Amino acid sequence: MSPILPVVHILSKVLMLFSAAFLLPLAISLGLGDGAHLAYDEAIATTFLSGVVLWLLSRRGKRELHTRDGFLLVVMIWTILPVYSTIPLLLHMPDLSFTDAYFEAVSGLTATGATVLSGLDSLPPSINVWRTQMHWIGGMGVIVLVVAVLPMLGVGGRQLFKAETPTPMKDSKLTPRMAETAKGLWLVYALITVICILALWVGGMGWLDAIVHAFSVMSLGGMSSHDASMGYFDSLTLEIIVMLFALIAGISFSTHFMAFRMRSLLAYRFDTEIRWFFGVLGASILGLTVYLLYKGYYLDFPEALRVASFHTISVATTLGFSTTDYNVWPYFAPLWMLFLSSFIASSGSTGGGIKMLRAMLLYKQVYRELIKLVHPNAAVHTKIGAQPVPPKITYAVLAFLFIYVASIIIMSFILSASGLDVFTSFTAVVAMVNNTGPGLGQVGPASTYAVLNDFQTWVCSFAMLLGRLEFFTLLVVLTPVFWRK
Amino acid sequence: MRRLAPVLHVLGLVILIFSFTMLAPLLTALFVHDAAQYAFDESFAVTLVAGFALWLVGRRWRRELKVRDGFLLVLLVWTGLPAFATLPFLIYAPEMSFTDAYFETLSAMTTTGATVMSGLDTLPPSLNLWRHLLNWLGGMGIIVLAVAILPLLGIGGRQLLKAELPGPIKDSKLTPRIADTAKLLWAMYAALTVLCTLALKLAGMSWFDAVCHAFAALSLGGFSTHDASVGYFDSPLIEAVLIVFMLLAALNFVTHFLAFRQRSLAAYRYDPEVRGVLGLVIASCLGISLYVWQAGVYPEFLTALRHVSFNLVSIATDCGFASTDFNTWPIFAPMWMLFLSCVTASSGSTGGGLKMIRTVLMFRQGVRELERQLHPAARLPVKIGGHAVPNQIVFAVQAFVMMYIATIVAMTLVLLASGLDFVSAFSAVIACINNAGPGLNEVGPAGNYAGLNDFQTWVLAFTMLLGRLELFTVFVLFTRAFWRG
Repeated sequence: MSPILPVVHILSKVLMLFSAAFLLPLAISLGLGDGAHLAYDEAIATTFLSGVVLWLLSRRGKRELHTRDGFLLVVMIWTILPVYSTIPLLLHMPDLSFTDAYFEAVSGLTATGATVLSGLDSLPPSINVWRTQMHWIGGMGVIVLVVAVLPMLGVGGRQLFKAETPTPMKDSKLTPRMAETAKGLWLVYALITVICILALWVGGMGWLDAIVHAFSVMSLGGMSSHDASMGYFDSLTLEIIVMLFALIAGISFSTHFMAFRMRSLLAYRFDTEIRWFFGVLGASILGLTVYLLYKGYYLDFPEALRVASFHTISVATTLGFSTTDYNVWPYFAPLWMLFLSSFIASSGSTGGGIKMLRAMLLYKQVYRELIKLVHPNAAVHTKIGAQPVPPKITYAVLAFLFIYVASIIIMSFILSASGLDVFTSFTAVVAMVNNTGPGLGQVGPASTYAVLNDFQTWVCSFAMLLGRLEFFTLLVVLTPVFWRK
Repeated sequence: MRRLAPVLHVLGLVILIFSFTMLAPLLTALFVHDAAQYAFDESFAVTLVAGFALWLVGRRWRRELKVRDGFLLVLLVWTGLPAFATLPFLIYAPEMSFTDAYFETLSAMTTTGATVMSGLDTLPPSLNLWRHLLNWLGGMGIIVLAVAILPLLGIGGRQLLKAELPGPIKDSKLTPRIADTAKLLWAMYAALTVLCTLALKLAGMSWFDAVCHAFAALSLGGFSTHDASVGYFDSPLIEAVLIVFMLLAALNFVTHFLAFRQRSLAAYRYDPEVRGVLGLVIASCLGISLYVWQAGVYPEFLTALRHVSFNLVSIATDCGFASTDFNTWPIFAPMWMLFLSCVTASSGSTGGGLKMIRTVLMFRQGVRELERQLHPAARLPVKIGGHAVPNQIVFAVQAFVMMYIATIVAMTLVLLASGLDFVSAFSAVIACINNAGPGLNEVGPAGNYAGLNDFQTWVLAFTMLLGRLELFTVFVLFTRAFWRG
């Protein structure tokens, strides 16, 4: 019991805090009288009470957390909060199964954006706010996770980013450091979200839609209050705003924070990922525009550029909005976009995938091996920026990539063995693991994940968590070694 | 020119020797009076003269080859010989394009076994013999490549195998070492081929078919003299014989040699790959048989077991025979077989793909990283066969595996962009990079590669070459460092 108790103690506090999250949809529900307010009442009560009970039960085990407890805490938070998040959904929609509700909540909190619900336009507004608020809270969690927690746990070479975190973090205790880092970054995150809400509102959305979509964009989630996603608005201005903020959210929040603190754009120049981020995106957008024109799917250049840039940015940053059913494009285009989603997002962003820094490291490592073939005795170092990367970290990154690819292969096999077609299985798994949202085939942008059976839905939920917690965090907890003394 | 000329000199010699192999089909043509006799006359003459000329021209720059020249030589041999090998096809069938002919001969010499030809049953026997002979010669080349050359060049962690080579190998010159190793292993290879021929004859094939199929089985090439491949014979006995010899060919020939010299099976016990190969294949055969049987493809389990065993072993070992159209099985089964083709074959075999030893190493490295999450300071060596593997080799293997995956992704995207459907594109790339042979859908066991356009054919030809030369041999030629100094 001893390894669990202190973790449960922290979890109970998180739960109590989390119950406050239902206040926003409750207020909106009461304000608009949309009839869903009872659902939030009960959700608040249940969540808060379970928090209190757990707190009382685990009070005795209270102690300073060790690094190892970090794994368990992260996994428990990310699996248990979705359970409580399902409460309003289950209460308001009694015919929704727990499997589907849990999928929706995991998709929300991991900022994936895959949905099993349709008829979004006729849902009570507060429910839609809740769905994207999960994104936003998840995004807050992700920022702390990627900037403070994972580097400390040393997941997949994340130590590499230690130097880049904005606060002094020589001390090794979990809590104070997380708190310090978190405050700074959350401030930036909240600030940009407010700007995004205002921009969307000025761009022509209603204030409710503006909140919903700003939550979704900043966390790179991708749920919308409309079945047609951003296509509902059919507004170039709004699309440009969304693209802009999706790009901002795809960049490391540490960099934003530095720029904010120094009141200068210099921070962006020193961010090694940004050049590649914009370079690859820019080239892909141009390439896909030409490809779509060449294949005759769009007739004039501005039109093709508009859809190509919106969807490339949306899918690649792992946001997942769409304005049109890109599933009908020649497969190369959407697959290329999904491919980008696996590595475009920066390491300190709310996006998913392997992250640009790891992709750069992989590229440099392969190049190094080539040079080593020609000069077997030369000492060639892998560098990121001007800093040589210690071999241990390169190892960890390569092992991470291997686990990433292996997970995609294994889960695609599981889905296809359960009866899904290969294309759907593969793209669904990629979209889940990268926390993108829509896949292709049966789970494309024009349809939902409701077509999956229960087993497949659970596999997808697991895949989302696996991707969000960067594989090792979740897998370590599942090994027997972890539980041995 | 200083770099190229000495290599061309050796290449000339290789082509010269290669021209004599055309005498075998020539004699066959004379003996059975088939229509392709004049094709071999001319091809023999052209190849002989070309080889001689090259040898003569390069003689002035003659010098001992260095390790670095090895990259270039290997690439030139594997691209040059198929070019000359196309001559009989082009002369006999003028309507065949060079693209298709080159694909066919490259497929043969890389022991892929993908074909663009149909109507094999009515082809002159001498041409069929030529195709299979190319398979067999390719297999000879591969054994030397895998056991002597690649370890010497240090491709993708191949140094790992250096210690296992038979014979004195301490000296660093390229030629004597290759010659030593080659002779011993070729003797093994030839002996097994003779055994296989006899076994196939006894099992009911004609002498001609027995020779051809023995060539294709031992080289894990997979060409057949019949459009229906091994399905033509419809004989469980023949299938059983082929399964045994395919599995033998998928094991390390060095191990065969050691076992032969020691007159004991102990060598197989000490080979760290044997257990992996046999375990994976047997478990998969049983599992997939059950799956296919459950899915109702075959009414009886034993029938399912027969067909699954043969086709699964054939694809997993990268041979590529087919006894039935496994494309019609539920998609999970053929996808799993293609997956096996990536990982199953041993490092010193004639098979393709990553090789079992790299699979094992990657798996162990993944486990090590998981353990390292929990014990960051512990020294955890990766062990293969009781020995700790140096970190540098783990690095090289990781980079190789990542490059392999990146190549598959890139080639699949190229084929998709050129208009192929997803499953065909993906499976064709997998089948070609692993040198397995048939893919799925359009390029499935019941079809062939003739339906592809010229561009796609060249892409796949390049993919076969990349897979066979283990990527780095080719990629290193694109670095500036290779050509400098």
